[in-house]
Amino acid sequence: MKYMIMLYASQQDYDLMVGNPTDRPAWSPEAVAKMFEFMEQWNNELVESGEFVDGQGLAAPVHTRRIQGRRDGAPVVTDGPYPETQEVLAGYTIVECDSFDRATEIAARVTECPSPSGEPSAEYIDVRPLQSERADPEI
Amino acid sequence: MDDVDIEGLLRTLAPQVLGAVVRRYGHFDLAEDATQEALVAAVAQWPGQGVPDDPRAWLIRVASRRLTDLLRSDQARQRREDTVAAWTIPEERLAAPADQPPSASDDTLVLLFLCCHPALPPASQIALTLRAVGGLSTAEIARAFLVPEATMTRRISRAKQRIRDSRAPFRMPSDDERSGRLDAVLHTLYLIFNEGYASTSGPYLQRTELAAEAIRLTRTVHRLLPDDAEVTGLLALMLLTDARRPARTGPNGELIPMADQDRDRWDAAAIAEGVALVSEALPTGATGPYQVQAAIAALHDEAPSADETDWPQIVALYEVLLRLGDNPMVALNHAAAVGMAKGPAAGLELLEGLASDRRVAEDHRFYAVQAHLQEMAGDPVAARESYDQAARRTTNVPQQRYLHARAARLTGS
Repeated sequence: MKYMIMLYASQQDYDLMVGNPTDRPAWSPEAVAKMFEFMEQWNNELVESGEFVDGQGLAAPVHTRRIQGRRDGAPVVTDGPYPETQEVLAGYTIVECDSFDRATEIAARVTECPSPSGEPSAEYIDVRPLQSERADPEI
Repeated sequence: MDDVDIEGLLRTLAPQVLGAVVRRYGHFDLAEDATQEALVAAVAQWPGQGVPDDPRAWLIRVASRRLTDLLRSDQARQRREDTVAAWTIPEERLAAPADQPPSASDDTLVLLFLCCHPALPPASQIALTLRAVGGLSTAEIARAFLVPEATMTRRISRAKQRIRDSRAPFRMPSDDERSGRLDAVLHTLYLIFNEGYASTSGPYLQRTELAAEAIRLTRTVHRLLPDDAEVTGLLALMLLTDARRPARTGPNGELIPMADQDRDRWDAAAIAEGVALVSEALPTGATGPYQVQAAIAALHDEAPSADETDWPQIVALYEVLLRLGDNPMVALNHAAAVGMAKGPAAGLELLEGLASDRRVAEDHRFYAVQAHLQEMAGDPVAARESYDQAARRTTNVPQQRYLHARAARLTGS
């Protein structure tokens, strides 16, 4: 089975990470390096174990374009539809493993990712099975 | 022979073996699979049993045997599917003219031409070159490009299918198309290098060493075509650019611009080799873009400090590049160099002219150059705004951090 592990962050979190000035102190270069190192190792272990399928990080939420269809007329496009502090999808990793529990175990490790404040780096992480690509054979 | 040497040997032999098998039996697509399987068999057997006396012959034998199996199952499948397509003798199975005995090195070149065939999109040319000529496995290539292995497998098999469908013969391109086809090969190698060189550390995967692989392949082409000035220029450009890599990032992966790099950390041997290649290539006739870019890189690498860079000469070389082709990124670099040679006002004036070019006006590099020139001109407010604009337009985290740090420094002053 394939599962998607979803990580979330707000625009504010991105700003702190890339050193864009806000009222809170930005991450130090060491803090960024530690986070990268942890996540790189996490991803690489999945490659080594053969469970890795795909993983990508998304650019900051401010780059989002939202397209809204309308009953009459052309769809409306909005740039940056999220509030500063809203946690939105920031990245995902798709794994293929034997059980939902194993996928959960993999995802839970991300809570150990070092963060400058010492708090868990993410409030929550979601894991969700992907829709199966094939129907069971008829017996 | 240790494992590292075996890997190096296999990677060098891979295109020669594939070339020999295709020349004998045709079927580029299946021969490529068969060669990969022979390489895998060698990796499994040689470290324990020792390297055979003639490793190339061993690989050709194993690959040929495997190709026979593959052809047999392919034929069986074709019969099952009851295809009406008639078996034709592919052109590449016709013997080469007797007065031109093929050599292993010719085969490597022919393979490169085939992998960079114009029927293929660039991404496929790159993937196929790395596999068929570079001897990398699909998994390694997938990791280098951060795509799932299944995606890369599909990309490579589609590429091979296209080559089969195009019925491109396994031989050197004719004289009239040779120059265009060589350009495509060099462009592919250049893209592979850039993909490796430009990648920064990030939270995702460790990447296969693409810059080193591009240099290795370009070295091979240079050995086979020592008199081609653009091949020489491309090899020089890669060496001279890669030489700066040790100083390009700090201990935490942060980007360090060339002006602030510790030049003692540049690779002196690579610079010496690159400079020698540029000097060898430049006087040999028509000047192409790789030679000119290599000459620019050489001027940077030879400057004892950023302040002692020969900016007027760099400006002149960018003007040569601009005459060779309309490229907005070259125009942007030219503007930056003019700013260094003649003062920021002259550079900013050129930027104004570029602001209406949609190909660069939204690019983060445009704003970064503008910010730098504004900073030099003593306009911290405008510079800060431009650095922020640049940071907003790139999605690369180390780059964003660098640009925000430059902006923050100006707020303090």
